[in-house]
Amino acid sequence: MSSPLTQRIVEEYAGFARTLAAADAAEPRRRDAIGALETAGLPTSRDENWKYANLRPLERQRFTPAANAAAQVPELPTGFDGFARYVLVDGALVAGASAAPTTVGATVAFSAHAVPPRTAATDRENPEVARDQRLALLSDAFAPSDLTIRVVRAPQPARLEVLFVASAAASEGASYPRLQLEVESGASLILIERHLSASTAGSFVDGAVSIELGPGASLEHYRLQELNGRSIFFDTLAAQLGQDARYRLHGIGSGAQSARSTLGVRLAGERAQLALAIATLGERQQVQDTYARVEHAAPNTRTAQTFRGIAADRSRVACNGKIVVGRGAAGSDSRQSLRGLLAGPEAEIDVRPQLEIYTDDVRCTHGATAGKLDDNMLFYLLSRGLSPESAQRLLKWAFLEDAIAQITLPQLRRQIETRFAAGLHDETLLELL
Amino acid sequence: MTALLTLDNLHATVEGKEILRGVTLTVNAGEVHAIMGPNGSGKSTLAYVLAGRPGYTVTAGSVRYQGRDLLALPPEERARAGVFLGFQYPVEIPGVNNVYLLKAAVNAARKERGLPEVDAFEFLGLVREKMKLMHMEDSFLSRGVNEGFSGGERKRNEILQMLVLEPRLAILDETDSGLDIDALKVVAGGINSLRSPERASVLVTHYQRLLEYVVPDFVHVLLHGRIARSGDKTLARELEQRGYDFLAGEAA
Repeated sequence: MSSPLTQRIVEEYAGFARTLAAADAAEPRRRDAIGALETAGLPTSRDENWKYANLRPLERQRFTPAANAAAQVPELPTGFDGFARYVLVDGALVAGASAAPTTVGATVAFSAHAVPPRTAATDRENPEVARDQRLALLSDAFAPSDLTIRVVRAPQPARLEVLFVASAAASEGASYPRLQLEVESGASLILIERHLSASTAGSFVDGAVSIELGPGASLEHYRLQELNGRSIFFDTLAAQLGQDARYRLHGIGSGAQSARSTLGVRLAGERAQLALAIATLGERQQVQDTYARVEHAAPNTRTAQTFRGIAADRSRVACNGKIVVGRGAAGSDSRQSLRGLLAGPEAEIDVRPQLEIYTDDVRCTHGATAGKLDDNMLFYLLSRGLSPESAQRLLKWAFLEDAIAQITLPQLRRQIETRFAAGLHDETLLELL
Repeated sequence: MTALLTLDNLHATVEGKEILRGVTLTVNAGEVHAIMGPNGSGKSTLAYVLAGRPGYTVTAGSVRYQGRDLLALPPEERARAGVFLGFQYPVEIPGVNNVYLLKAAVNAARKERGLPEVDAFEFLGLVREKMKLMHMEDSFLSRGVNEGFSGGERKRNEILQMLVLEPRLAILDETDSGLDIDALKVVAGGINSLRSPERASVLVTHYQRLLEYVVPDFVHVLLHGRIARSGDKTLARELEQRGYDFLAGEAA
């Protein structure tokens, strides 16, 4: 029995499908997705893995993609030095603001009509993962376009910055950032993926990212969610790592009215390594929810999962970190540290570690805490003459340290610092050291 | 003589329990005072009350510092006005860089006096010079505040902060505890280097040991929240030999 919401989506899709070109290459994918949605339905707050997310916006939302408002180049933040930039507004590539389709070491292709489906990176055959990733079905069914990136082996890592800009109001339809990334054997990429708003309109954004790292490939991935405070953000990332592949994923979320990121990483090849570091900041009445599932599916794989969330005002910050060590993952090493900081009397933190281990030969450590700023630390800083505001900023920054210590781009560190701790860094001093 | 700090009949409670029960004391510029006493006599409470730690409630009496009502100032303003507390147990703050804290502290005090921020390069030079005095390694600068420091390193770090901040009034709470003899000498050297006619120190200590190296002008014995006896440095030696018990009658 499908719910009224599911029924409505199926009907909306039927109308949307009639507007598609006869030769829509993505048609089989769309049909599969809507079929899967009809069977499984969208998550509800009764679903264990979705109880901290704000799902109410789904009830009213129109899922047909927003017609992209001409190729107007919105005002964009400064780019990162040495990075080729690609800008997409509500799913349409803005050629005027984007680098040429090909840069050294990477092939970037944009298709208004999606390339044939590549589902290798996801493992939706796994029913649990499929349930987690249901929001991506909306993208699979409705998204107007794909950005596909293939990175080949080169002397230097490729450096790309992808800006997904949401501009349409939610009432006009949804915005679907989609990225399919493949890093070939031995190739390496530094990718900055940003989600931001072009206007003050509250947009509905449903992102879907799939990533495949070939044997020995390496990816340093920065994801920044900086949508305006009226927008709704759902996001599904599925990644699969081959033998000896290395993936460092930094998620930094501070935007949107409510945001939910669902991350699924599968360590499929022997000795694959993942460092997953998430930092989120909730203010006002924001909801920042993260669900990360990591599966060790091959021997001698490694994960370090770090979450740091700050909840201020009346916000809610949640992180559910699940690690599954499968039968075939002997010799694996898995570390998890989830910490939340309550920075407002009416704020809420939910951190939930989950471990499922199906092999004996494994090392796992995990810890989860939620607490307030330490009074002793605060007083120590005050006793040195720092104002209460500076002292708190400094301690918040220190709290995040473990989640951002490995960011190798100084420009990005500065930006995060400004956003999370209102700019207290002393670059000059640290450079002199 | 200018009175830098004047305590008059100071009473304070912690969690509703009266710990200080009428402390009267005058510290003039240029002087070093030692406050001794057994565990639980109120020594640390006195230090915290002067620094403004939350949870310590003054119920009667007054404290004047440079003619101002010290108790009316929040802790950060006391610090900027030149009051420094050397903690008995300095807290570890991972992620807050030592040198960053030092510079933020110096700049907070400078801002109060209408001075521009210190030049980063000159500042580092100054810090390195003071670190040499404290026998601290350069790597300390880029570490988190007291992160992974031994007890002795923490105490040395307190004195280093004091040397960089150059307070008018240093209140050092059991800075000597947990130090071996070499570290004690280094710490004492740091304290002595800051002695000058316009500054004063209050050394809170359990043992007479530190006073061999930092010779006080006055020694006070705190018993049950009151100063039971005051004298010169010879009082410290007497206490060392006879213990605090011989004063017990005087405190009642």
